[in-house]
Amino acid sequence: MARIELKGLRKVFGRNIEAVKNLDFTIEEGEFVVIVGPSGCGKTTTLRMIAGFEEPTAGEIEIDGRLVNDIDPGDRGVGMVFQTHALFPHKTVAENIEFGPRMKKVPEETRKQQVREVADMVRITHLLHKLPVECSGGEAQRAALARTLITDPTAFLLDEPLSSLDAKLRREMRAEIDRLHEELKKTFVYVTHDQEEAMTLADRIVVMRDGVIEQVGTPLEIYNDPVSYFVADFFGSPSMNLIAGKVEGSNGAAAFSGAGIEFKLPDAYAGVSAGDYTLGVRPEHVVVGSQEAAFSCDVQLVEPLGKDTLLYFEHGAERPTIAVIEASGRFKAGERLNVTFDSERVYLFEPDGKRVR
Amino acid sequence: MNRVQKARLFTIFRYAMLLIWSVIVAFPIFWIVSTSFKPDWEWHAWPPVYWSKEASWVNYRAVWGRTQSPRATSGEKVATETARYESHSANKPWQALWNSLYIAITATALSVAFGAILAYGVSRYRILSEIRMFQLLVLRMIPPIVVAAPLTLYYSAIHLMDTALGLIIVYFITTLPYSVWMTKSFVDEVPVEIEQAAEILGATKWQAIREVIFPLIRSGIVATFLFILILTWSEYLLSLMLSKVDVVTLPVQLAKYEGSDEGRVYGHQAALAVGITLPLMVIGIFIRKHLVRGFTFGMVKR
Repeated sequence: MARIELKGLRKVFGRNIEAVKNLDFTIEEGEFVVIVGPSGCGKTTTLRMIAGFEEPTAGEIEIDGRLVNDIDPGDRGVGMVFQTHALFPHKTVAENIEFGPRMKKVPEETRKQQVREVADMVRITHLLHKLPVECSGGEAQRAALARTLITDPTAFLLDEPLSSLDAKLRREMRAEIDRLHEELKKTFVYVTHDQEEAMTLADRIVVMRDGVIEQVGTPLEIYNDPVSYFVADFFGSPSMNLIAGKVEGSNGAAAFSGAGIEFKLPDAYAGVSAGDYTLGVRPEHVVVGSQEAAFSCDVQLVEPLGKDTLLYFEHGAERPTIAVIEASGRFKAGERLNVTFDSERVYLFEPDGKRVR
Repeated sequence: MNRVQKARLFTIFRYAMLLIWSVIVAFPIFWIVSTSFKPDWEWHAWPPVYWSKEASWVNYRAVWGRTQSPRATSGEKVATETARYESHSANKPWQALWNSLYIAITATALSVAFGAILAYGVSRYRILSEIRMFQLLVLRMIPPIVVAAPLTLYYSAIHLMDTALGLIIVYFITTLPYSVWMTKSFVDEVPVEIEQAAEILGATKWQAIREVIFPLIRSGIVATFLFILILTWSEYLLSLMLSKVDVVTLPVQLAKYEGSDEGRVYGHQAALAVGITLPLMVIGIFIRKHLVRGFTFGMVKR
């Protein structure tokens, strides 16, 4: 198990491409941390610095209190699973798995035993004699996991390991990775751009944007208590309704107006000064067919998803407002409805993206 | 005309073109082989003789037989044949063959070895910028005659004239751009993650190269080797200028069957030419598995 500390980590590519700016973060022992963000946010660079493939421009990386900046990737005691699985194409699955121990001069008998054990653990015993090209995407990624498992690393670094798999396989492998973490109780650092993966896997999520950490928290904290417009918009599917408009106060009560909406803000926002703001409401907190109305609008589109149904309202905002309701045949496209928001669950964001608290 | 007919017509057209092209390419080779078996009166015959009714090994014996085995020249006719062209074939083809083999293989091996090291550096660490790589290639576009004359001066000064080492050096340097470019494309094909995977699993840089990179680019290296071997094996101009007496390579030897009182000694030339071509074909057949893989590299599903 490993505790990974990043202190003032910075990485500049070339002369002035700053991929990671001053990162301070500690990954606790046995924790499953998911670093998430859009492409180019510096998440993969951060992971590659932990692995030792990129040298930090500034800052320190400590694994279990040991400064590893100048230690080769192979000697850091971490294992890495790559996006492209990176199996050696000319070696069989068994030879691939055996590679790590063989490099460390483990006797052949022990090696064979270990290969059988890890192959069993990720259920690929039947593939051992095959070449990577003969394996499907999911099988190859399992083999890559086994190849890392056998070296018994103190921490697992996973760089978008599921992004090349199809949706069904991705869910399956996600469960597999979750199970491995449960079983091994080791530190996992997982990089992805997929918010759903982050939400389902992480003990803690690190949201990165433009080379800095935007927010750190448990999946629920991130979902329910986003610190900014960016985080609010990034997490959740369908994503949060974000409506640009104005806040005007009268008699100690603030009201939001914009894109055809008139909405009285809860008392918590009473002290907000007037000006431009963005109102945020998760689709599940949009109330449809109520007495009160923040706005009235025709249902533009009804999208049944099985258990839930999505309703789309086009009322002049940048994106149509989406409501999630339990599936029923109650609403039809073209029907005019009253729509309002759950007062306790609305967010307000300042023009620079910060959340108003 | 419907689609099937159109497609069929196009296929016929395509194969017709290919057939014409292969005749154009293969005919000179056929002509050399055919001539190598002709008696001397058919060398210049008109109308041309495509395949001699009196085909024999006489030209081969004359060219290759002399120094090697005297028994090959036994028999009245052969002996006179041999005597007639004594003056032209006074230089030893076997010696030339040995020189060519030694020089071409050494220079090619050096070129491919250094080329591979450079290519790895360029591919992984960008030790040469794109511009430098392009300049390297442009270097090859300089006509050899431009460097041949100055080289003779330098070579005389540093006593490399007429030595195997001199030719090995010049072939090594002139083919290096090709081997760097070719091998680089093969190294580029190997994803850097594969190498990094090896490293994080505990392999040293050298182990990663030996265990992972080399096996994956081996076919490419073999293809590069053959390509450069063909270049150096058949190089004429520099060999002619930089070596004359002591170290004669096969292409230069080939030219020695020209001129003087009888005109061109086509039969002997052809017999020697066949001898020059054969080793390359043998090597080609020997490594064809690698060639196919080498030239189709990158088309494999990864």
